Amino acid sequence: MPQAKRILVACGTAIATSTVVAKAIEDALRERGIEVITRQCKASEVASMVEGMDLVVTTTPVPTNLGVPVIQTLAFLTGIGKEAVIEQIVKALGTK
Amino acid sequence: MEGFLSGLKAIIDALGATVLLPIIIFIIAAVMGAKPGRAFRAAVTIGIAFIGINLVIGLMWGSLTEVGQAIVSNLGIQRDVMDMGWPSAAAIAFGSPVGLWVIPIAILVNIVFLALRLTKTVNIDVWNYWHFAFLGSLVLAATNNLAYGLIAAAIAAALALFLGDWTAKAVQSFYGTPGISIPHLTSAPGVPFAIVTNWIVDRIPGLKDVEADPETIRKNWGVMGEPVILGLIIGIVLGILAFYNAGDATTVITKVLKTGMNLAAVMLLLPRMVQILMEGLIPVSEAAREFMQKRAAGREIYIGLDSAILVGHPAAISSSLLLVPIAILLSIILPGNRVILFADLAVIPFVVALFAPLMRGNIVRMVIAGTLELAVGFYIATGLADFFTATARSANFAIPENAVRITSIADGFLWPGFLFTKLAEWLNVGGLVVLVVLLGVAMFFYLKNQEAWEVAAGAPASK
Repeated sequence: MPQAKRILVACGTAIATSTVVAKAIEDALRERGIEVITRQCKASEVASMVEGMDLVVTTTPVPTNLGVPVIQTLAFLTGIGKEAVIEQIVKALGTK
Repeated sequence: MEGFLSGLKAIIDALGATVLLPIIIFIIAAVMGAKPGRAFRAAVTIGIAFIGINLVIGLMWGSLTEVGQAIVSNLGIQRDVMDMGWPSAAAIAFGSPVGLWVIPIAILVNIVFLALRLTKTVNIDVWNYWHFAFLGSLVLAATNNLAYGLIAAAIAAALALFLGDWTAKAVQSFYGTPGISIPHLTSAPGVPFAIVTNWIVDRIPGLKDVEADPETIRKNWGVMGEPVILGLIIGIVLGILAFYNAGDATTVITKVLKTGMNLAAVMLLLPRMVQILMEGLIPVSEAAREFMQKRAAGREIYIGLDSAILVGHPAAISSSLLLVPIAILLSIILPGNRVILFADLAVIPFVVALFAPLMRGNIVRMVIAGTLELAVGFYIATGLADFFTATARSANFAIPENAVRITSIADGFLWPGFLFTKLAEWLNVGGLVVLVVLLGVAMFFYLKNQEAWEVAAGAPASK
């Protein structure tokens, strides 16, 4: 079994919107048979927590020069355009 | 009605949030169309979150009480109101008698406002309904009347919609979030401070041209944005102030380091516990989103979200990093202040986030406006501490012996809390009427001259 991908989910609090996003990503990718581990953090902690992560998904602006792909999206909160973002995440993780 | 409500309050007091809130969340989720299995699991999760939050608040309150009392007797300064942080405030608000009913109340207010075309915002940010419950429960503490508390929560929900609409255009253009508004009662109340500060600064030669670079600030002050380290440092400093004369060197060092570790632990554990609460609210919040979006279909609407989506912006982060030491300094020097800051130093980005559009991200101005808002906030918080603490009691939180009183920057420092509580205390139901009239007048002028208001809040002016 391939190793689970690690996704860092960021928002302003590491509590409110990032929890919604992290759970939504876990559910959506599990449906597609992709195992992921999510960790949540505050936007100000992204730089120090990004090591060992495969992808950063954030609801708020974060630095982009992190060495891993960054996806900034509100789709998981508003429900609009959610499928497209999930595709984007799957592609960024490089899983078939 | 009165008898029914007081009977209800007795039952609520007996069961407590850990039992009652899950039951109510289950019913709300099921009524709005969430699958029963999922709703049930979510409801149980919420009960668990309350048990966890209670444990951590107990730890924090215990440590801070000991520290606070020692500081008072050591230094002779009256600083006996402890900042327990917004996670505590949110849990207390949801666990209060008002919090039990706040979700259906706020949804109802939103739907009525949409139907009457008084708002464009569909506030799907169910999590932040805690602010409405918080204001409502302060009013309950001030009047001892649950009906007043519930009405106050409804007024708060309407206030959030109004502030969200008013600032929406500014937020959308500055932060690049089309179709979004921020009906968030920690951020939106700061806009008047920003307007006044901006007006004054524009008239001061020299100062009006000063700018600061967010990147440099973030590099040099970044540690202020890491809650665990911040908690450790503040814990050690408070520990030194409290225990420097507690005995021989070993005793002092042990006590100081223990205080530091306890408070660092709180900074990590409290948000984790609140995360569980948030997780439990997801099914409700999804159901509410569909429920309301369906009723607003085919209209121009804004989707109301948490300011958590804004505060990663360099202007918000950098100005709040600078405000951390300023806030600590204010807490020491302001005469008559009784608040010691702690947990909510991490929440300052939320206080300043909505300054940014109007000030075009100018950090110097944001820091000045933030300093003003916080300075006023210390007095508001000192004045509201009794009501805040009474609310924690009514939500059945574990309160240590001889506990100090509590507050939080969000929202204990902000003017809506002061306005709601004092009006209700002085005028009872008349206070609620005054609130409705004030809000009605503000909305009337806003709807009459929307563009001017929006530009005043920082939206770009159309030619």
